Amino acid sequence: MTEIELLNKIKTAKINRALGVFILIFGLIVLVAITFTETFVQQMTDLVAGMVLILIGGGMFWKSQMNLVQLSTKNKTL
Amino acid sequence: MLAGIDYFIVIAYIVGMLLLGLYFKKFVNTSEDYFLGGKSLPFWAIGMSIVVSDIGALDFVGVSGQAYRYGVSVGNFDWVGSVPAMLLAAFIFIPYFWRGGMYTIPEYLGRRYNKSVRTIASATWILFFALDLGVLFWASAVLLNVLMGWPIWISILSTAGVVGLYTYFGGITAVIMTDVVQMIIMFVGGFALVFLGLHAVGGWENMVEKIITMGPEYQSHFDIIQPSDTTSPFPWTGILFGLTFVMANAYMIGNQSIVQRCLTAKNEWHAKASMIFGSALKMFIPILVLFPGLMAVVVHPDLSDGDQALPMMIKSILPPGLVGLMFAAFFAGLMSSVDSLLNSTATLFTKDIYEPFIKKGASDKHYLKVGQITTLVLLIFGVATSPISSDFPGIYVAIQTFMSYFQGPLFAILLLGIFWKRTTQWGGLSALIIGIAFAVFLNVFKEHFFHIEDPFLYISWWSFLVGFIINVIVSLCTKKHEEKDLQGLVFNTKIVTENTSI
Repeated sequence: MTEIELLNKIKTAKINRALGVFILIFGLIVLVAITFTETFVQQMTDLVAGMVLILIGGGMFWKSQMNLVQLSTKNKTL
Repeated sequence: MLAGIDYFIVIAYIVGMLLLGLYFKKFVNTSEDYFLGGKSLPFWAIGMSIVVSDIGALDFVGVSGQAYRYGVSVGNFDWVGSVPAMLLAAFIFIPYFWRGGMYTIPEYLGRRYNKSVRTIASATWILFFALDLGVLFWASAVLLNVLMGWPIWISILSTAGVVGLYTYFGGITAVIMTDVVQMIIMFVGGFALVFLGLHAVGGWENMVEKIITMGPEYQSHFDIIQPSDTTSPFPWTGILFGLTFVMANAYMIGNQSIVQRCLTAKNEWHAKASMIFGSALKMFIPILVLFPGLMAVVVHPDLSDGDQALPMMIKSILPPGLVGLMFAAFFAGLMSSVDSLLNSTATLFTKDIYEPFIKKGASDKHYLKVGQITTLVLLIFGVATSPISSDFPGIYVAIQTFMSYFQGPLFAILLLGIFWKRTTQWGGLSALIIGIAFAVFLNVFKEHFFHIEDPFLYISWWSFLVGFIINVIVSLCTKKHEEKDLQGLVFNTKIVTENTSI
């Protein structure tokens, strides 16, 4: 892997980490909104929507964080 | 009106988008970073970005409104009107654009035909995008007005402020990556609305039964193919010839804001895959945009303006929390469409107008600055022209009307340019000018030629046909290009990269 390729991968990982954090926080806010709903169907819809966002955001954050650790190590050895 | 938690969600979303967009400023050092994301982006992000830019606010509000008025036939725009064209783009056209190291579609036309064709095509797109900006800002005002009671100008200015800032600083990387978030939010919010909407109308079958028994005007609401003598804007003849053959291809292959995304891919495989992935996501769009409009027929049967169907559904069906989520989804679509237009127009102006005509050979930093300033100027222009949209009966139809003026002729010269070696610079130029003039003529005298409400599909077909024929006739009468001039520009010849052939 060339240095440019490595830097591009680090850039992508940093971008994905930022996106993951944003989606994760948004999912948490939607979960909090459950307390403002009235019916069971509404609560379940909020719950599912919030969980989907948390899973996607959390997954992106975790994966990109792992990648960043690996890529930073490689970057130091180059 | 929004409850407290919904206000919080919307404001958190807007502030978050702004911060996220500004974060991408650190990845912009050159004009290539600003216009093509440093050619380093992955297919999944680009694919999502293509879809979310296309679906945008216009689809959420406008297509829901069309579904309310005319039924499911409007869904053709996202099925036959997108998927085949995206696959064609992925396998035939994108490799030529990507390997050629191009920034814009007019740049291809300039290399294939001549500088005049490039300039006319670019100027036309710039004009369309600038007018489109106004329509998008107006769409936001319609929703905000119904949902939150905000004055029109307040909503327009707040949208312009947020989108303008992150597009100005972050360039296309900010545009594409915020699109990824926006698509996820839009899909989650959209599916939640469909689920609760279906629950409210008693399920799909119950909704179909209720709508069909509402009167004779609703009998064909669930016919995806409308007869050729229908008074709706979507007769099958228009859908087949105007949409599937011309407008869909022109949009997916010749639209700068779509193709520019593919050009940001890290390699050719990612460029092609982005279109294919986008086409798969596209299949879900009608569910998100059509269903709310259909459900509104049952829940709010007496709306005077179909474009209010979606805002009214959000207001009456969704619980606290999800209203905010859905509104954020709408806002996401709007921002995505606006940021795409801003960045693409800045690219067109900088690369096709400023660089060749105003200041050749300037430093890269200079062109980066020009792109950013163009973004700002466009933003002001879009805000100032937004009230024009209120003169048109449907927001979505207004866009199609603008597009039908030149989509047909533009696609005709693009198609012949890549598939027919014999077409010449004079053929392309005359086809473009006469084709656009013919489209304008048809639109001005449409009452004399067409019997449907808005014949934009027919106009795009006939202007395509005229452009095609003119191109063939004039090309056969003028001197053909030399083989070496066509290298890498015509199908079945070697595709060349920026400097070397492969």
